[in-house]
Amino acid sequence: MKRAFAMTGAVALLAATALTAAPALAEDVITLGASVQMTGATANTGRYYRDAYQMAVDKINAAGGVKVGGKTYKLALKMLDNQSNVNLSVRQYVQLISGDKVNFLLGPFASNFVISDSSVAEKYQIPMVQGGGSSGQIFSRGYKYVFGTLPPAGNYYASTIEMMSKLNPAPKTVALVAADDSFDVSVAKGTRKLLEKAGMKIAVDQEYREGNSDFSSILTQVKAAKVDTVLWSGHETEALNFIRQMKQLNVDPNGMYAFTVGVPTSDFRKALGADANYAFGMTTWLPDASLKDKWFGDAAQFAKEYKAKFGYDPDYHAASGAADVETYVYAIEKAGSLDPKKVRDAIAASNFQSLYAQVKYAPNGQIDLPQIVVQIQKGELKPIYTTQFINKPDYPVPAWSKR
Amino acid sequence: MKTRTLILAAAVAVALAFVPMFGSDVMIQFGINALVLAVLAQSWNILGGFGGYVSFGNSVFYGLGTYGTAIAMTTYNLPFGVGLVIGVVLAMLGAALVGVPILRLRGPYFAIATLGLNGAMMAIFSNLPIAGTNIGLVLPLTRNDTMFYELSLALLVACTLTVFWISRSRYGMGLIAIREDEDAAGTMGVNATLYKVTALILASIFTAVAGGIHAYWSTFVDPASAFDSTLNVRMVIMCVFGGPGTVFGPVIGSFVLSTVYEVLAAQISTAAALLFGVVIVLAVIFMPRGLADIMRDRANFTLRYFIRNIRENRL
Amino acid sequence: MVLAQILLNGVLLGGLYGLMALGMALVWGVLNIVNLSHGALIMVGGYVVYYLFTLAGIDPFLALPIAMAVMFSLGFALQWGLLNLVVRSKMLNTLLITFGLDVVLTFTAQLLFSADFRTINPSYAGANFAIGGLTVPTVRLAAFGVAVGLATGIWVLLNKLPLGRAIRATAQNLTAARLYGVNPRMLYAVTFGIGAALAGAAGGLYGMISNLTPYIGASLTAKSFVIAIIGGLANPFNVILGGIFVGVAEAVTALYIGPTYTDVISFGLLVAVLVLRPSRAVRAA
Repeated sequence: MKRAFAMTGAVALLAATALTAAPALAEDVITLGASVQMTGATANTGRYYRDAYQMAVDKINAAGGVKVGGKTYKLALKMLDNQSNVNLSVRQYVQLISGDKVNFLLGPFASNFVISDSSVAEKYQIPMVQGGGSSGQIFSRGYKYVFGTLPPAGNYYASTIEMMSKLNPAPKTVALVAADDSFDVSVAKGTRKLLEKAGMKIAVDQEYREGNSDFSSILTQVKAAKVDTVLWSGHETEALNFIRQMKQLNVDPNGMYAFTVGVPTSDFRKALGADANYAFGMTTWLPDASLKDKWFGDAAQFAKEYKAKFGYDPDYHAASGAADVETYVYAIEKAGSLDPKKVRDAIAASNFQSLYAQVKYAPNGQIDLPQIVVQIQKGELKPIYTTQFINKPDYPVPAWSKR
Repeated sequence: MKTRTLILAAAVAVALAFVPMFGSDVMIQFGINALVLAVLAQSWNILGGFGGYVSFGNSVFYGLGTYGTAIAMTTYNLPFGVGLVIGVVLAMLGAALVGVPILRLRGPYFAIATLGLNGAMMAIFSNLPIAGTNIGLVLPLTRNDTMFYELSLALLVACTLTVFWISRSRYGMGLIAIREDEDAAGTMGVNATLYKVTALILASIFTAVAGGIHAYWSTFVDPASAFDSTLNVRMVIMCVFGGPGTVFGPVIGSFVLSTVYEVLAAQISTAAALLFGVVIVLAVIFMPRGLADIMRDRANFTLRYFIRNIRENRL
Repeated sequence: MVLAQILLNGVLLGGLYGLMALGMALVWGVLNIVNLSHGALIMVGGYVVYYLFTLAGIDPFLALPIAMAVMFSLGFALQWGLLNLVVRSKMLNTLLITFGLDVVLTFTAQLLFSADFRTINPSYAGANFAIGGLTVPTVRLAAFGVAVGLATGIWVLLNKLPLGRAIRATAQNLTAARLYGVNPRMLYAVTFGIGAALAGAAGGLYGMISNLTPYIGASLTAKSFVIAIIGGLANPFNVILGGIFVGVAEAVTALYIGPTYTDVISFGLLVAVLVLRPSRAVRAA
């Protein structure tokens, strides 16, 4: 038994050295820390953040870095893999702050991660600018150090519903289908209010269990209700199942069907092939040359470089992640200091043009952006509507049997 | 158990109590996590190690402790201590209510019933408005990690003392008799149902407190994290890795595995989970009776010992 | 009409559920191993069919037998090289080793296939036809047919063929089986291989109806568990019936109570079956 304790002691010692061994920091480096999903169930979206953070940091360094009070700093990035595990990600953020002594934090993907991880940032009073969580729960706690570059979940369907009322014939009845997690419940709540204001009737209102793979019961009810529109909110894999099962069960809404996620990604189109056509979706960002950027030139160039470097197209997650890094550069230069409190105040006062959007945070720390309504037309993603029509929508969507 | 071992154990506990004064924040939060896991493994040891009943339902008590604390603190603005008590009462009630029918089942059927129970509880809580449905609850933020650390340590000491008492009491003998041969234990006059249910209730107390501490510390609870069946699997692995049915085995097992996992996750993040799986597979093959069995006798730490283990269990 | 359609959906999906559970029930009943990596084997089988379809251009239904052969080899190797080493150990240890195996398979799959989701999407994936106002998805009907066909095959194997008799003899009494000249190591490996092959078939069908990621294993294991218990371990047709029962129960729950309650029902059923009919549970053990 004595050996046992000797061994425990040795193990504890090993742990102590492993946990406190932080890389020696050069004087002129500003380190940004992040724990993102590189493996595990949400790694598919987590990679946008991993790659966008890295690319933005490299680009900014190549252009000279960050100037603070006459001195030039390079950016460094310390990224850990949270394996899509919330508990691990919380611990990794503590490690980043107190072990690796990073200066500032970037966020993980997904609202539930941000909710937990941002409490670490708040605890240590180190700013966290994150582009991965938009649920109201993140910003309603009165935290001072959390900023978000995704717009409020409740407004996701605002532009879609505005567009619907301008369509001919305008849809009157809606089926609302949403997952039961934090983000999607926020979306559903907001959408109900928006639909009421627009005078549209919710004929089917179903919440489903996150991770669900069979929608046949919900779809049968949607079909029986003969609705004009299906508004759907959930996760990408679920969206994929939903569309495939719509086709299998011949569910044809009279007007259209729209999704919060999935539609803008190339994966989605690849997986569904021709069945992806006609689906409406939304994005806060399109790689458009009109979005000028100090480092990348514009959003189109960003998208091109990104694709060349990583072999897949960026979507709004990636752009939002890049904007998080840029937020720090602007804020640090303006604050003229690396003091977390001063930088925090400078972030709160941010107002700059980037490849992602005009970045400006509301008092609760969240950006507000309109969603661009998009539709897949003949295998291509087309922007359809923001405050007015950009392209002609394929409407009403033809029945599955007539395609 | 030699007196020397006990003195050493006490010394380790006292030394651990001083870690927050010298250790870094990373060390403390690693400590909180490792201590909470050790409590879970040690509580699992009561019914699983001594009684031989493999439960995948301890995460139910963890979840009840978590939600008892979280609901008390957020919905009713009660202090943390009251929340813990509510969590414990909920968990004990749960253990008593489900214990009687479910502990009639044996072998894998008990294991699977408890697994089903955990799945059902998760699904129920994700539909409960008072528990914030599947969105979860946000608890107030406290910047006092030292308190969480010392609480977890105290809990582990209390839990280990309880297990120490069990190992030396008639009660523990009864549990072991049930593990070895339940029918024979019955004929010897052991009231098996009573023993098993009290063991489950004892385990539920410590597990629920651990859940409550973790909830307040992490400031956020949702059904997926509260009723996490992989957490239950980790309790089992840590207990079995260390040595089920021993007093210090589960504690050592969880400290060792927590460290291994932490180092793996920090150093080679992507392959960490994969290697963790390999460690489990190899441990089951080469040391099915846990670390404690090796440490009991220095002579065991030989190639022959590992080969003997395989000989015993292979087809 | 809505109810009729929902019952049909439940029955068709339930057939696939039953097929998922079939391999688990076989391994459990014969080898007394509760295989926690069963869902991961389903996942791997799905990827095999996916790659046969996308890279080699083989129709997914024709690829099923190939995938089953591949999965048989994998299962055979796992049992022969690994699980046979611990088979006589405590039940707890076999649970743990298969859990470890599940972790290894999942993360190896992630390294090999990436975390991207995949779908097996042949041109007819969305096809359907109408009967009396009901919509019947062709692929789901075919999957149901495959499930029933394989269950029949397993029934014939166990009850009519010499190999099946040897398997059943081993399940009942290892020593006696040895006396009759059965090589238990080989037989265990073959049985586990058959279980894995069934998982492979289920995975291919699952990939046509839903989608594949490396992480679907755990939830499929849980589902297979529930059904193996409800259907019992003895008769393949009962396992399929168990699957249909769960499929229908979930569909009806989604209709009348709400889709967020389906898990309450399936896990509740599991606990209820075990608690209310312990005699059967104890007997099977």
